[in-house]
Amino acid sequence: MGNVTLSPATPKGAAFSDGKFARGLAAAGAGLLGGCEGRQAVLAAASPDGEMIARLGLWMFVSAAFILVVTLGLLAVALTLARGREARPLSRRGSCVLVISGGVLSPVAAIVALSISGVAIGDQTEGAGETRLTVEVQAKRWWWAFHYLDADGREIAVTANELHLPAGERTRLILTSDNVIHSFWVPNLQGKTDMIPGQRNVLFAEPSAPGRWRGQCAEFCGLQHALMGVEVVAEPRPAFDRWLARQAGPARVTEGPGLAAFMSQGCGECHALRGTPARGRDGPDLTHLAGRARIAAATLPNSRGALGGWITDTHRVKPGALMPASTPDPRELSDLLDLLEALE
Amino acid sequence: MSRAAVLEGTGEALHPAGTRADELAAIERSWASPPGFLGWFTHVNHSNIGRRFVLTSFVFFLLAGILGLLIRLQLALPLAEVLDAESYNQVMTVHGTAMMFLFAIPAMEGIAIAIVPLMVGARDMAFPRLNAFGYYVYLIGGSVFFGSLFLGLAPGAGWFSYVPLAGPRFAPGYGVDIWTTMITFIEVSALTAAVELIVTILKLRAPGMSLDRMPIFVWAVLVMAFMILFAMPAVIVASSLLMMDRLIDTQFFVAEAGGSPLLWQHLFWFFGHPEVYIILVPALGMVTTVIVTFTRREVVGYNALVLAIVGIGMISFGLWVHHMYTTGLPFMGRSFFMAASSMIAIPSGVQVFCWIATLWGARIRMAAPMLWVLAFFAVFIAGGLTGVMVASVPFDRQVHDSYFIVAHFHYVLMGGAVFPLMAGVTYWFPKFTGRLLSERLGRWSVATVFAGFNLAFFPMHILGLQGMPRRIYTYLPEMGWGDLNLVSTSGSLLLAAGFAISLWNVARSLARGAPAGDDPWGAGTLEWATASPPLNSNFPEQPVVLGRNPVWDWARSGHRPIVGGLSITRRETMVTTLLDARPQSVQVLPGPTPWPFVSALVASASFFGLIFTPWAFVAGFFAAFLSFLAWFWPRKPWRED
Amino acid sequence: MRVRVAVDANQLDRFAPHTHPLWWGILGAVAIEAAVVATLLTSWFYLATQSAAWPPEGTAPPPILWPTVVLCLLPVSSMTMWWAGKGSDAGDARRLSLGLALSVLVACLVLGVRAVQMTAFDIRWDAHAYGSMLWVITGFHFTHVASAIVGTAAVTVLSFRGYFTPSRQLGVVVDTLYWYFVAAAYLPIYLVLYIAPRVLQ
Repeated sequence: MGNVTLSPATPKGAAFSDGKFARGLAAAGAGLLGGCEGRQAVLAAASPDGEMIARLGLWMFVSAAFILVVTLGLLAVALTLARGREARPLSRRGSCVLVISGGVLSPVAAIVALSISGVAIGDQTEGAGETRLTVEVQAKRWWWAFHYLDADGREIAVTANELHLPAGERTRLILTSDNVIHSFWVPNLQGKTDMIPGQRNVLFAEPSAPGRWRGQCAEFCGLQHALMGVEVVAEPRPAFDRWLARQAGPARVTEGPGLAAFMSQGCGECHALRGTPARGRDGPDLTHLAGRARIAAATLPNSRGALGGWITDTHRVKPGALMPASTPDPRELSDLLDLLEALE
Repeated sequence: MSRAAVLEGTGEALHPAGTRADELAAIERSWASPPGFLGWFTHVNHSNIGRRFVLTSFVFFLLAGILGLLIRLQLALPLAEVLDAESYNQVMTVHGTAMMFLFAIPAMEGIAIAIVPLMVGARDMAFPRLNAFGYYVYLIGGSVFFGSLFLGLAPGAGWFSYVPLAGPRFAPGYGVDIWTTMITFIEVSALTAAVELIVTILKLRAPGMSLDRMPIFVWAVLVMAFMILFAMPAVIVASSLLMMDRLIDTQFFVAEAGGSPLLWQHLFWFFGHPEVYIILVPALGMVTTVIVTFTRREVVGYNALVLAIVGIGMISFGLWVHHMYTTGLPFMGRSFFMAASSMIAIPSGVQVFCWIATLWGARIRMAAPMLWVLAFFAVFIAGGLTGVMVASVPFDRQVHDSYFIVAHFHYVLMGGAVFPLMAGVTYWFPKFTGRLLSERLGRWSVATVFAGFNLAFFPMHILGLQGMPRRIYTYLPEMGWGDLNLVSTSGSLLLAAGFAISLWNVARSLARGAPAGDDPWGAGTLEWATASPPLNSNFPEQPVVLGRNPVWDWARSGHRPIVGGLSITRRETMVTTLLDARPQSVQVLPGPTPWPFVSALVASASFFGLIFTPWAFVAGFFAAFLSFLAWFWPRKPWRED
Repeated sequence: MRVRVAVDANQLDRFAPHTHPLWWGILGAVAIEAAVVATLLTSWFYLATQSAAWPPEGTAPPPILWPTVVLCLLPVSSMTMWWAGKGSDAGDARRLSLGLALSVLVACLVLGVRAVQMTAFDIRWDAHAYGSMLWVITGFHFTHVASAIVGTAAVTVLSFRGYFTPSRQLGVVVDTLYWYFVAAAYLPIYLVLYIAPRVLQ
């Protein structure tokens, strides 16, 4: 596939947490590890959960580095002691002290620290806390469907591949799959959780501030596992509510040559444009496609050129993708793209 | 002393009094393997079979290593087109499967088969024909599995074959069928070797080698064999169930029909985690062996080391769930496995510090095997520490299935198993070829491999923290992973060059290496008390053991106790009691026979048939029975006595 | 260096069946098979806990009469094996041959009963994971009885040809060991497949 269709036209590092931690350990750690900032990075945490885990990771890294240096230092001493001297073994007592302190006491201390921190942090990051919103995330091959649910579990709106969340709030994500196993991972916000057929797993996401991050499927799920991305957008509550209301509504265009092309090319068999005869459920809901920043599971920018390339040259962009490539004539293609760009 | 010298009876050190030259020649004739191409299929002596295992496993190592390079080339740049998605998945699956099932386990078993009988002073293993059978099973199964890649028929669902991705609905075609049948089949070979090693170690030790005089390496192999015995059945059951899901529409893993995808994961990892230690434990035994020889000291903390090895074996069965932290299991349960997983740090720590205590202030012979061990120290400890990190549930939920894990397990498996394996191969190479390797090339190889390895795999830790998931065939340029991936790929090329130096070293030494002599390293264990390469009978006079390092003990005391009264015209070896190795009886061992090969062929055909039809099971059952009947039907030497 | 014969192997038994490595080898094979049985039965319970209904709605647990007959027949065949082995120890070749032949006959009866019993299962192997488990565990044990039969049949033939003597009876000893295992392995299978569904319901 050409880099023409996959142009790097993404805003970089839209938002980072400004918490204490970001200024402290994270900066030090990120510097140490060669710059882990980014839109899809564990150490550029943008949620309380992400921060706790990043801090835990850095502490463990520092302790592990210390243990490595001390142990290899002891080894170096052991090796060089006999240089130019008579070889003398360690006394029995010395050996006992070495083996017990290095091989038993330090590991036990590490195990205790690791278990306590793991239980404490695990309990918080996986805890429900207070949630107002529930989203059912369905993993497909190879994209994501988001069903926004109200308090009674009724569906408010459906969208795909771009998850909007209210900033500063904890949201419950119900993770399901009706095909193979996938895993939902947005490293800046939270650890991953698998999406397993026959199971409903739960994950909580709590972006601290407005921002935009990327996530990716983390469980090998077949041919397009590599490019099964997801965009996550956090907005202040009022903006989020406006967004959700718009998503709940029907498509802005419900007739015209674009829709005719959409139907004649068979797009409507898999994709839904609510308020039109296109009611397919197998592919992403496209009712408000134009509002999304990226297409093809966060792989291409949502531009006219990329849309055209994706529709006509699908399998060059994503070999094995289940969407058949279409061959509209130029007139139809142009109408189709007009339609897609108008679906705000 | 040369092989010829021994046969002529002029070898002073070994045979001055006990055995006459003509008797010696008769013993060697009784234990000889037939020459020629057809003769090759009848060999049963453990040193031949062990050598074949090691050689074959290294061929698979080379091939799977080339696949690893392909993976690295594809990932060197974003959106590279070295491999397409389908080929990448096949290459990745075969790389992982081959490294685990076709290289690591057989290599460890092969070394054990070649070395353990010598180390315990036995003349062969308990079931030589079964040994040969296991080898042919491995050779045929492994070749069919690897060959599927060249036909483009290889499985592409990963070495872990998670369902439903590997199930009939999402993986049509023969790829996963080849995986399930051949993995099940190859495990048969691992199991025969395990039983074989256990019985040989427990019952065929030379008189006097009580359990507390057994070399640490033998302990490690014993623990490895027991782990194989109890871990492999889980994967055999799992892959058989998957085979049936695909072949006769059973519903074991189908969620809609009462099955469970997680059942696969539990079964697979109940095997898969011990599997890592199955590879690691014998490697740690090799480290101890090399350290003892190159410091010329008794190891510090023999009992602690044995306890640590046994401890690792036991703990390894209680932590499979740490591969499943993200599957939505209850947090309470995962917390238990978090503590259990990190417990492995204790026996590992004990071993590391026992070694440091042994090395403390010693005059160390810094030959290539010792250098491999030093490289092992640095890399293995680093990998072990990241291992403790990923035992933590919250941290693992971030790095699980990311490149951090790829880095971690390559540190553990390369550093913890391949480096010691290289140490072991370099160490025992003179024993099995009678020739020395070049020290200079050995040093270069260690240095290049060490540098290349760290360059290739250290950046992956950072990539994982930058959010790069495993098993992706490509990534977008804007992800910012390109630079580190390029570094990693160049490191992998350097790593390959390092192994190429070793390969060249071996080839050069086989052609014109210096003769090694019986005991080039001045080591103390029994494998050095026979000629290099070992005599057909291993020990024309089976030794009697009075300490942990018999060769050193003999040199100190000036006399060498032996077993007398074994037949010189048929294959006999001592059977001793399990704990303190008192003489109990004598086992008469079978000679060369083609039947194990025939049986392996029949079994291969049946397993291969299972790819296509369930009736292959019925046909295979009867065909295998007939071949076993021919194999076991009484004939010499039983008929004549 | 002086060499001294410290152990004289001349007087040691060459074919002692009860300390022979092959006996230990068969024990190893038994350990592997036992691990397989344990894994299968654990999987049965795992799937049972994961399912809403186990056996699924509308499926009756398998009838219990014939399995109970098998449960009684297998120890009988073990008794005849044991009786044959004692005969062999005493040098009674006819008793050995007779005992072995009887065991094979009883085991063939077991196979017949098992075959009848399988046709009475209320569910196919491809209908539900419960059916898959039931059929596969049953088939697994069926295969083992069958392999014990063909193996013992071979030993029986050797026995009729007068191959075994009191000092040369390794084949009988290891075959008996395997036979005991196949018979004993049926007990947990019986408890899980036929009793547990009734208790769980």
